[in-house]
Amino acid sequence: MKKIKLYIPVFLLVLTVIACKIDNYPATDAQLYGTFLDAETNEPVEQDIIRGSTIEFIEHGYASQTKQVMIVKNDGTYRNNLIFANTYTITPVRGNFVPTEPQEVTVKGETQLDFKVQPYIRVKDVKIEKVGTKVVATFKLQQTVINKVKKIGLYAHPEPAVGEPIRTVLADQEINTVSDPNKIYRLEIDVPSNSSNLKTGNQYFFRVGALIDAPESKFNYAKAVRLTL
Amino acid sequence: MKILKFICLFSVLSISCKVNEEKITDTPIPIEEVKYDQTGVLFPNYKGLVMAGYQGWFTAEGDGAGRGWHHYQKAGKFEPGFASIDFWPDVTEYSKTYPTAFKYQNGENAKVYSPYDEESVDLHFKWMKEHNIDGVYMQRFVSEVKGESGKKHFNKVLENALKASKKYGRAISIMYDLSGSTSADMAFIMKDWEELQTLFKIYDNKKNPTYLRHHGRPLLAIWGVGFNDGRKYTIADIRKLVDSIKGPTKKTSILLGVPYYWRTLTKDTENSTDLHTLIKTADVIMPWAVGRYDASTYTDVAGTTLPGDIAWCKTNKIDYAPLVFPGFSWGNLKNDKSLYNQIPRAKGDFLWQQIAGAKLSGAEALYVAMFDEVDEGTAIFKTKKEGQTPLNGDGKFVGIEPDLDSDFYLWLTGEGAKWFHGASGYSMQKPVRSK
Repeated sequence: MKKIKLYIPVFLLVLTVIACKIDNYPATDAQLYGTFLDAETNEPVEQDIIRGSTIEFIEHGYASQTKQVMIVKNDGTYRNNLIFANTYTITPVRGNFVPTEPQEVTVKGETQLDFKVQPYIRVKDVKIEKVGTKVVATFKLQQTVINKVKKIGLYAHPEPAVGEPIRTVLADQEINTVSDPNKIYRLEIDVPSNSSNLKTGNQYFFRVGALIDAPESKFNYAKAVRLTL
Repeated sequence: MKILKFICLFSVLSISCKVNEEKITDTPIPIEEVKYDQTGVLFPNYKGLVMAGYQGWFTAEGDGAGRGWHHYQKAGKFEPGFASIDFWPDVTEYSKTYPTAFKYQNGENAKVYSPYDEESVDLHFKWMKEHNIDGVYMQRFVSEVKGESGKKHFNKVLENALKASKKYGRAISIMYDLSGSTSADMAFIMKDWEELQTLFKIYDNKKNPTYLRHHGRPLLAIWGVGFNDGRKYTIADIRKLVDSIKGPTKKTSILLGVPYYWRTLTKDTENSTDLHTLIKTADVIMPWAVGRYDASTYTDVAGTTLPGDIAWCKTNKIDYAPLVFPGFSWGNLKNDKSLYNQIPRAKGDFLWQQIAGAKLSGAEALYVAMFDEVDEGTAIFKTKKEGQTPLNGDGKFVGIEPDLDSDFYLWLTGEGAKWFHGASGYSMQKPVRSK
């Protein structure tokens, strides 16, 4: 019994030492950040933080070629502060822009990598304002591909990350047509009929989006607007 | 003794140092790129042009080519039940035609033409001019011109075409089709190309003012690189071929015919980044789109492919010519009636969908497949209408839609050409032909 009592602490000590050894792998030592930019206007391309465009990256030097992913913030920026300095194959995928090619990038220290992309749709001349008891959005669409525009929407949420996936109230419309660049589109949310989610006197964020009808496409947006109801 | 050894070693070292120094300071004399006289050249740039592929591979019994009913016949015969063509050429305007064993419903004999005849090729170029189509790429099938009779035929067709292109001011360029070639054929192509230059003075701006130029140099097209369909030559073979055709003085501009999914290296394309390396040495690329979509899938497939391709080409400073085709039909060629009108023409809706799609996606030039391809039913030239085609045993010939004029696809292609030339008033909406 004494022997067993002696063995247990020894065993635990051995375990601890082994565990320490495993934990002694080097920490991440680099950061990767950047912005999705419209190749024509050089403006950031607005995104969704969830179910939005994704960045896939594969670290070189490993046989497994495991794909890791980064998400993008609403303003089109992304940042990964926990990355190892190495060479990576990086590809923006399933996005709201014309598909782009994988690129080989050396990440070392603070590395900036912007993606110049062609957004499927530019949501332009956006006006979102309170008119009476309604929130009214008017805007134009400039599509850069020949596909149809599937849907347009006005989304509302208390947080600035508002968009199609993050909204408490919406007004959307299936349009399924090639958009006319001169047409003014109009969407409105009635405040009283959404009173459980939109309370008078409170601040909310509103954002206009449009979805192109292309495989794996995501919504394109204008910047969110803050309104006090 | 030791001192002697040291002196010897020192002198050897100093010599080797000197040699090394000479090597470093010896800068190579830059090779000057060839400059051509562009005086009188009608097509100095590929941009804005709408050009079709010209097969020219048909022959008729008695036309002097000695190749029988080449590309019309099947299993050695050209008679009802034995034809490899789906569309029947409308030969009403041809001055030289050949009677066949086929008959129309009313018992009248059906006739065909041969591009071996100068007057027939002349007529084709006349049509191009009438309809504003800029010109053609003369297909040169390596597997055919390797043989004596093939070479004789294709040289005669080329001679006819060069003459007619000059007469009607249409652009002309040569396109090697590598289907069926092997690695060993690369040397043959080099030799053949050299021969053509001597024979037809292709680089001579006075003799051939209509031969297409690009980047200040005559343009040669090479079709069929990067396909993953088990070809017996490699991307590396084409790299060597392109390098030797261009030469250190960059004698020639090159258009490469590549598979549709060349950019993503998927589906019809060999998964090798060597293809991208090769493309970057070329001047223009033309991805093969025939059979990659139909009217219902076009937008899903091409809607993002076209702008993606164009962006890649812009980044890599390569010009881009998307392909458009009026439809596809190869029931007789494949002995399968279900393949008649496999990709329907829909009275030009399908062709216009692609012309507009390419233009609105930012394309600057077009390749039309093809001017005279009746085996696979992609011809835009005048063919017989549905209900007016000859009888074909228990099979049939596919005609163009009966309510269209037989030159409708020439006209519609020409409308596309006008749009690419900068005319206004065109959109996704197919233009209406005024009577």
